[in-house]
Amino acid sequence: GGRKKIKVGETEMSREAELVLFDENLLYEVFRRLEDGSSLARTACVCRRWNKTANDERIWELICTRRCPHAPTQLRSVVSALGGFRQLYSSHLWPLLKKPPSPPPPPSPSSSAPPSSFSWRSLPPPPPPGPSTNKTKARWGEDEVNLSLSLLTINYFKNISCKNRS
Amino acid sequence: FDEAFAVLGYNVKSSDMAEVAEKIQQLDEAMGSFEREGLSQLLASDAVHYNPSDLCSWLESMISGLNPLSGFESSPDPFLDSSTASVNSCPPRIDLDFGSDLISIPGEAIYPRPPAKRARYPVSVEPPPAAARSLLVDSQENGIRLVHTLVACAEAIQQEDAELAEALVKNIGFLAASQAGAMRKVAAYFAEALARRIYGLRPPAAAAAAGDSGFTDDALQMNFYEACPYLKFAHFTANQAILEAFAGKSRVHVIDFTMKQGMQWPALLHALALRPGGPPAVRLTGVRYSSRDGSAEIGWRLARLAEDVEVEFKYEEITVADSIAELDSSMLDVREGEAVAVNSVFELHRLLSRPGSIDGVLKLVRELKPEILTVVEQEANHGGNIFLDRFNEALHYYSTLFDSLESGAAAAAAADGSATDEDRLMTEVYLGRQICDIVACEGADRVERHETLAQWRARFGSRGFTPVRLGSNVYKQAILLLGLFAGGDGYRVEENDGCLMLGWHTRPLIATSAWK
Repeated sequence: GGRKKIKVGETEMSREAELVLFDENLLYEVFRRLEDGSSLARTACVCRRWNKTANDERIWELICTRRCPHAPTQLRSVVSALGGFRQLYSSHLWPLLKKPPSPPPPPSPSSSAPPSSFSWRSLPPPPPPGPSTNKTKARWGEDEVNLSLSLLTINYFKNISCKNRS
Repeated sequence: FDEAFAVLGYNVKSSDMAEVAEKIQQLDEAMGSFEREGLSQLLASDAVHYNPSDLCSWLESMISGLNPLSGFESSPDPFLDSSTASVNSCPPRIDLDFGSDLISIPGEAIYPRPPAKRARYPVSVEPPPAAARSLLVDSQENGIRLVHTLVACAEAIQQEDAELAEALVKNIGFLAASQAGAMRKVAAYFAEALARRIYGLRPPAAAAAAGDSGFTDDALQMNFYEACPYLKFAHFTANQAILEAFAGKSRVHVIDFTMKQGMQWPALLHALALRPGGPPAVRLTGVRYSSRDGSAEIGWRLARLAEDVEVEFKYEEITVADSIAELDSSMLDVREGEAVAVNSVFELHRLLSRPGSIDGVLKLVRELKPEILTVVEQEANHGGNIFLDRFNEALHYYSTLFDSLESGAAAAAAADGSATDEDRLMTEVYLGRQICDIVACEGADRVERHETLAQWRARFGSRGFTPVRLGSNVYKQAILLLGLFAGGDGYRVEENDGCLMLGWHTRPLIATSAWK
């Protein structure tokens, strides 16, 4: 080919940039360095090419396991059998991460409080939940991954139906 | 808002100041006269917290709560009025509007007794003169009356006053209709149970009710599983204990007294699959009850899952008619060299309805020499023989439980997205059955004989079991799990001397314990 310059918006794109943006392998190298799932999910919305690369299971595996120093060797085959890392993240890990941790329990009164259906004018309403956040928790790790794996498995089990009977 | 007051934390409009001053005076008078009536001790024992920052309405509520009584006479009150009885020993008369019997609520029913178990409520008196007397407008007053009536009815039953009980139970339905949400549902279930008891109508056996397969015990428990975190909590905590007990074992055998639809075991299978060093060979023996459980294809689905996660697995099912006591060791295929875990979720309490059953089962379990016995039970004392105590305890327990369901519903879509309105509705049916059993049944029919952790501890201890402490991992998983449930701020996980309890606000509702 020649030294074509293409216009992207107002700027002209050089061949070098073109190389990166349209090369799957290089895209992969860039995407796999993303730290969190929401960024990766967003890159998958940009265009078809990016979508293909961003949905690579290997990258989602990194997202899920980066904070798990003790991930066993069987993890990949088990998770793949149950639906894959992207599924693990989007259905089960993400809901765990996006809520802020629950507030610490209030100190218990000396005797049991009445159930709230009987306590009209009594206790003030519970404090409002923290500001809703679209960000993930700053610190999460193996515990969250383990729980989400359990939930993934349960979901898989629920979906095994008669149709799949071999 | 007036600035001077605002600084002190009170919101008062300047225009309302005169009114506020007048009300403070009224309140002062009311408190003075209340004291004279000798009921100040009542105030002291019932702590009710009001938020005083909105000064105007706080005063209003104080005054209406304390308005002096119209002496000792019991003036006939139209039932539909929002006023109610005098607080003194003289019983008021309450008319049923449809011209039937005059009902008198014994004074005791209104005067709250010291035991903390009783739901606490402010005593209601004559309304302030300013308030318009309107039909059923003040649902709070009717809510209080509803509680009174429920308890009074139970007392009447305890005292074998059938006539009074019958009259009261008719009231309850009417009162319940004026309530909303959890309160109405709880009252309705208790009312039905009371009525059944009064008229001698035993609840239909679970099997008979299960004409449609959606209503079997195990089907309803699935709804319960989805609608609220209690069962998930039970499974996760028990599984974690089993996982830890199986550390280093290469062949394991889990015996589940409460197989139901098998929802506990996928997570354990996955955890074993990912065990460092690889999974053990797993055998699972599940017990199902033909009188209560529908048919479900569990075995091949678990086997399929195990195959997919590459765990050597075998499932065996044992069906008994109704009780785990029917199980004997010959039915169980126990093999050498296998580590055994026994699991029971909400089942052991049923054995208490027949003397000797629990001992037989615990003896069987001991003979299996399990690495661990995991037990999950309702944290309540519903097994006592005194009807009234049982009733009060159950009222408190199920109100709390229904409350937690209600706030899950109020928070609309659950974070994990799978609970539906149907789940919630069926969960209410599931719980309603338990209520019916506790209130309307006796003898061998009464199977929901829940006992507290302390009671179970004593029992296990005296039959040669030692407690196994649940580790911090269990606690961590439980906390994380609860974070997933919308309306989840109300749930509390509590560690109790090596056991874990899950409750709603300050009331523990279920407890997981482990034994060896």
